[in-house]
Amino acid sequence: MNEGSGRRIRAIAKKEVVEFARDWRTIIAIIVIPLLMFPLLFILFPVLLESEAAELDALELNVVIQSDDFPLNLLENITAVSLSTSIEVLPNVTSLSEPGSDLERVRNGSTDALLRFDSQNETWSYAILHLSTSERSNEARYRLLTTLSAWEDSEVRERISASGLDVNETLDPLRWDGDISQGDVATSGEQAGMVLSLFIPLVLAIWTYSSAIQPSIDMTAGERERGTLEALLCLPCTRIELLMGKWVAVATITGIGVVLQICGLLFAIGYLASSSFIGLPKLSIASVGLIVLSILLFAVMVVAFELALAMRSHSVKEAGSILAPALMLILFPALFTQVINLDGIEGFWFAIPVVNILLALRELLMNRVITEHVLIWVVSSVVYASLAAYYASRQFSREDIVTSLS
Amino acid sequence: MSKTLLSLRGVTKNFAEVEALKHIDLEIHSGEIVGLVGSNGAGKTTLLRLMAGVYTPSNGRVELSNGRPVEEMRQELGVVPESTGLYSRLTAWENIRYHSRMHGVSDSVSWARTEKFAEHLDMKDNLSRHTKGFSRGMRQKTALLRALAHGPNILLLDEPTAGLDITSARTVRALVRQLRDEGGTVIYSTHQLAEAQQVCDRIVIIHNGEIRADGSPGELLSTTGTENLEEAYVSLTLDQARPRQEEADKEGKLSSWWRRLFTPRTPASTREVNEDE
Repeated sequence: MNEGSGRRIRAIAKKEVVEFARDWRTIIAIIVIPLLMFPLLFILFPVLLESEAAELDALELNVVIQSDDFPLNLLENITAVSLSTSIEVLPNVTSLSEPGSDLERVRNGSTDALLRFDSQNETWSYAILHLSTSERSNEARYRLLTTLSAWEDSEVRERISASGLDVNETLDPLRWDGDISQGDVATSGEQAGMVLSLFIPLVLAIWTYSSAIQPSIDMTAGERERGTLEALLCLPCTRIELLMGKWVAVATITGIGVVLQICGLLFAIGYLASSSFIGLPKLSIASVGLIVLSILLFAVMVVAFELALAMRSHSVKEAGSILAPALMLILFPALFTQVINLDGIEGFWFAIPVVNILLALRELLMNRVITEHVLIWVVSSVVYASLAAYYASRQFSREDIVTSLS
Repeated sequence: MSKTLLSLRGVTKNFAEVEALKHIDLEIHSGEIVGLVGSNGAGKTTLLRLMAGVYTPSNGRVELSNGRPVEEMRQELGVVPESTGLYSRLTAWENIRYHSRMHGVSDSVSWARTEKFAEHLDMKDNLSRHTKGFSRGMRQKTALLRALAHGPNILLLDEPTAGLDITSARTVRALVRQLRDEGGTVIYSTHQLAEAQQVCDRIVIIHNGEIRADGSPGELLSTTGTENLEEAYVSLTLDQARPRQEEADKEGKLSSWWRRLFTPRTPASTREVNEDE
């Protein structure tokens, strides 16, 4: 590549980025949303859950208790969890779970749940009738179950104690000694790598593809539709320079979006998530270098592929209707890759398009540099990226790109 | 006679089954203004695109003097396409500067030239404005400034006065003549015969993809034995003009079939229209 060629590629890329950045909607879509998506999700989701839980806790619910001999202390416990009770005699049913004539009043909400309780010598039987599609009814059932469980636990302890046994030794004869986390010999860096390897490749793959859609279309089919391509094609630049300039621009915009999204995700996990289950992965220099290489190869392939498909289209509408469903080509392999076991994995997996890079990222984030795998994914990815670039160059060399349906 | 700059020999251009240009033989000489005159769909734009190297001929050759490929001319080429091709989120000056940079011309040189021509075209105050809100005339003027800013020797102008008011069109024509006087070559496509007569040294009449006449206005009159160019044009283009041809190969076969599947037949009579209602 001579100096003039480099200058023209830079000029094209710079103009594309500047023009793209001047559209505020684009900035929102490519920069702001990826940056804020995960932090907002991590803030808003717990807030929403807490508010919903508080709302349910505050509810005063009505339950009917059907029993001929209901323990008084259990009744007190039930009333203590904001349940208004009314006691009735047990109906004549074959089993306590059979709704019988009580079906309608549980269904129409005149009572939130119905507890049937029967004593047989030293044991009790019970059943709760509820409506699983009603939140009030589910909450009433949950409170009843929690109270019954606590009451049962207390009964068990009393009986063990009354029989002269030690309660703890009887209930918990097998115990873990010491700190459970000390038993895992993986370092915290390795554990962090393992956790990150489960979603970083997925986010990277999906976001790289989806955030490149809009700029790819705008810079190809968009130019075609607006009639700006003809003047550009009359300039002293080759079609390959044009492709490379646009590729650099799309890759820059997409790269910024992906990096911001991953930053947002790591920030959300590190500072906003309630548990401290993740830290920084401990990676060797070789792993870091190979991660960068894998992302670069993936970006070359994906962006070139998208530019080619968009340039093939006669209009923005046509390009959109081709590129959006083509996301499946990334999404399915990305989801599939998440469930593949990396221990003893066969080498051919690292030669499958898209899957190879995602598996490579998973391995590298766990600081595993396996020469055989690296060779396979590097060679296959170079081949796929070259094929995508060749396909894109073919599309950019078409004569009909100067015209559009509109 | 000035030397040959560009020549087209036996050039044919096909779009799918359609022959858009048929056996074109044409020579463009340095320092002349050549008018390409024809109706819509005659083949003027296709011819300009062949000259700019955007299209390659299906048959024949388009080459510079001494057989160099036409792409080598692009460094000295300024183009105003029919669509103007301006980026709406860039200012007029940024549009101009972008093309100048692609020609390897420094910003200071292209700014000096832009300023000079912008004075002529009454565009100086609009150079820092985004082109999004520009009228058709302002877009046309900006495209012209963009084509001139890097100091081209050859200008390809596709309907350069379309959308311009009378005064601006007159200024553009004067500018074109001035460029010719300074040694430049201009290929000027228009469907306005009167305009071609005012500006061009030589007029090439194209009709249905063929060159029907090529010469100075006086030569055209004497060849056709008519008294004015309008009569000359009519006598040369008596056969019905065809529709625009390039559209034919733009749509894929499947897309075309699918679109037709959901397109109702055009009613054959008023009665059928009434029945539809």
